[in-house]
Amino acid sequence: MNDIVIDTHNISRIYNPYTIPVYAIKNVHLHLRRGEFAALVGPSGSGKTTLLNLIGGLDKPDEGQIMINGTDITSLSPSALINFRLNNIGFVFQSFNLIPVLTARENAEFIMLLQGRNKKEREERITQLFKQIGLADKMNRRPSELSGGEQQRVAVARALASKPQFILADEPTANLDSKSASVLLDIMYKLNKEENITFLFSTHDQRVIDRARRVITLVDGQISSDTNIIDTSLPH
Amino acid sequence: MILSMAWRNIWRHKARSLVIMVSIALGLFAGIAVLSLYEGMMISRIRTVIDEETGHIQIHHPKFSDENESKYLIDNIENILKKISGIPEIIEINKRILANGMLSTPNGTAGVQTIGIDTNTEFSFSSLKLKIKDGNGFKPNKKYQAIIGKKLAQKMKLEIGSKFVLMFNDTSNNLVSSSYRVASIYQSTNAPLDERIIYVSNYELSDLLGLKGQVHEIGLKLRNDDDVTATTIKLKQLLPQLKIESWKEISPETEFMAKTVDTYSYIIMIIIMIALAFGILNTMHMAIMDRSREIGMIAALGTNKFKIFLLILLETIFLTMGGVPFGIILGLSTTFYFNKHGLDLSGMGEDLMSNFGFKTVIYPEFPLEKLIPLLSIVIITALLSSLLPAIKAINMKPIDALKN
Ligand SMILES: Nc1ncnc2c1ncn2[C@@H]1O[C@H](COP(=O)(O)OP(=O)(O)OP(=O)(O)O)[C@@H](O)[C@H]1O
Ligand SMILES: [Mg+2]
Repeated sequence: MNDIVIDTHNISRIYNPYTIPVYAIKNVHLHLRRGEFAALVGPSGSGKTTLLNLIGGLDKPDEGQIMINGTDITSLSPSALINFRLNNIGFVFQSFNLIPVLTARENAEFIMLLQGRNKKEREERITQLFKQIGLADKMNRRPSELSGGEQQRVAVARALASKPQFILADEPTANLDSKSASVLLDIMYKLNKEENITFLFSTHDQRVIDRARRVITLVDGQISSDTNIIDTSLPH
Repeated sequence: MILSMAWRNIWRHKARSLVIMVSIALGLFAGIAVLSLYEGMMISRIRTVIDEETGHIQIHHPKFSDENESKYLIDNIENILKKISGIPEIIEINKRILANGMLSTPNGTAGVQTIGIDTNTEFSFSSLKLKIKDGNGFKPNKKYQAIIGKKLAQKMKLEIGSKFVLMFNDTSNNLVSSSYRVASIYQSTNAPLDERIIYVSNYELSDLLGLKGQVHEIGLKLRNDDDVTATTIKLKQLLPQLKIESWKEISPETEFMAKTVDTYSYIIMIIIMIALAFGILNTMHMAIMDRSREIGMIAALGTNKFKIFLLILLETIFLTMGGVPFGIILGLSTTFYFNKHGLDLSGMGEDLMSNFGFKTVIYPEFPLEKLIPLLSIVIITALLSSLLPAIKAINMKPIDALKN
């Protein structure tokens, strides 16, 4: 029980409840254990983004509860929720991930500063993370001086910098070419292994789906299938 | 890091930042200009009062007032002059005989204040010599001559050589009258006074009123404006039986005008600040809307509202600090320039200015003690007007901002 980091209990998200109600998410039960590397798939409009926003505490369900590592985030006050996100959830968005006026390392450092981590801790963590994402030599570049793939890798490093319970990524590879997408996936997978960090990412890309060890399929806001894939070949 | 983010953010959209800095600079410049102009006008007005109207200090009978009959006189002039002569600050003494009377011509009548003067002292004491536009003072060897204001001359259709009759009550309340001829016409910067005051010889007026060497008023000029208060006190001790007043007490309208001008400058300031506020509000709002995605993303990561608010506020503070020096330099140097060369306001209408007793050429002067209040007003305005955009920023929902 203790290693369940995400536990959504019968959650629903209904748009336009008074006119023509749309169930973006309908009665979803979902559990993720620590260390999982799970893909959220489904046709466009099936509710992937909505579900990730709910789990990430950016949106509130109309019904049900969301427990993150034992905390019911649906009952947190807005300011407590902000703080909870900061310390427990890592985000990688599809685009506009990085603060343009900050360098890559500052982007990662920003979140640790918000957490109030000391300088030594920040230095160590960031140096290590940038090594892991293979961008140690480009730490001091601004986002505009990095490729799209590199920016997404920095976003992953930034998400990890705060040592969250898990990382949510909504179509992190959508704007990347297949080579960059593959590199990003490799890095995510490696960090998943090395840091035992839980990843939940949505995607349309079959090659990305192929790398997941668990595939959750949403259709019309409901989970239609949830498969664990036996780990066969590790990426190099 | 919020600090350096704010700093770098202002360099992102240089034109926009420039707009805000320029508005702040202009707001400050306008504030300095308005205050300097008014200060210059007031200083000039006070100079006029002292140099051309009342002098620094006046001595009267304790019951004397402008509307009074002519019976409230200063006796024992010789004795008084002897006492006064011991005060080194006093550099000019001017005696006047005053009588409210009625001027009549075939064209009509007008109430006037007649001042009996000794041209030897009056010409310099109230700069009367310089105010004479037509004629050359009193003509020698002629009697019953008058120097009248241009405004009165126009109203009563008088010109040099024209005849009119003056009528007064003498000291025993008998009606006396005499006919006069216009010897000269003067014009000061104070049009209402020009319409009311006419000058005649003190000897003749003294005779008409039945005086025996007494006068109504002794005007004093001092070496320094700053000596007024101390000298007034000294004179009060020396001449306890008489009324001693400084120009501030004699000309309360000047004091009142100073207050009115202050009020006007506040109103103009408020208008300037409202314009400034709208400029900043709009521009900052645009900046926030442009960056809504970014702000939403920062909020999603777990940045609390206070820090986002701080970010926007700091950006405004940087822009304000950028604009303020330019505003001060621009404002003070412009003021300095016109202080040297004079600012000709005759374009505003000579009549308008002189109706309020102002000269048309003003030497603006910035009241330095108002710099800090002015700065505070500008800075507070800038910060207040960034408040709304900042509130908008902290209320951005990450989920909306992040939508593709
Ligand atoms: N703000 C909103 N108001 C009304 N309906 C909404 C709103 N946001 C999303 N929806 C609806 O909710 C459903 C789920 O949307 P969601 O964005 O979660 O789908 P998705 O699986 O992420 O799609 P995609 O693959 O295209 O990103 C859709 O039918 C969508 O139209
Ligand atoms: Mg989506």
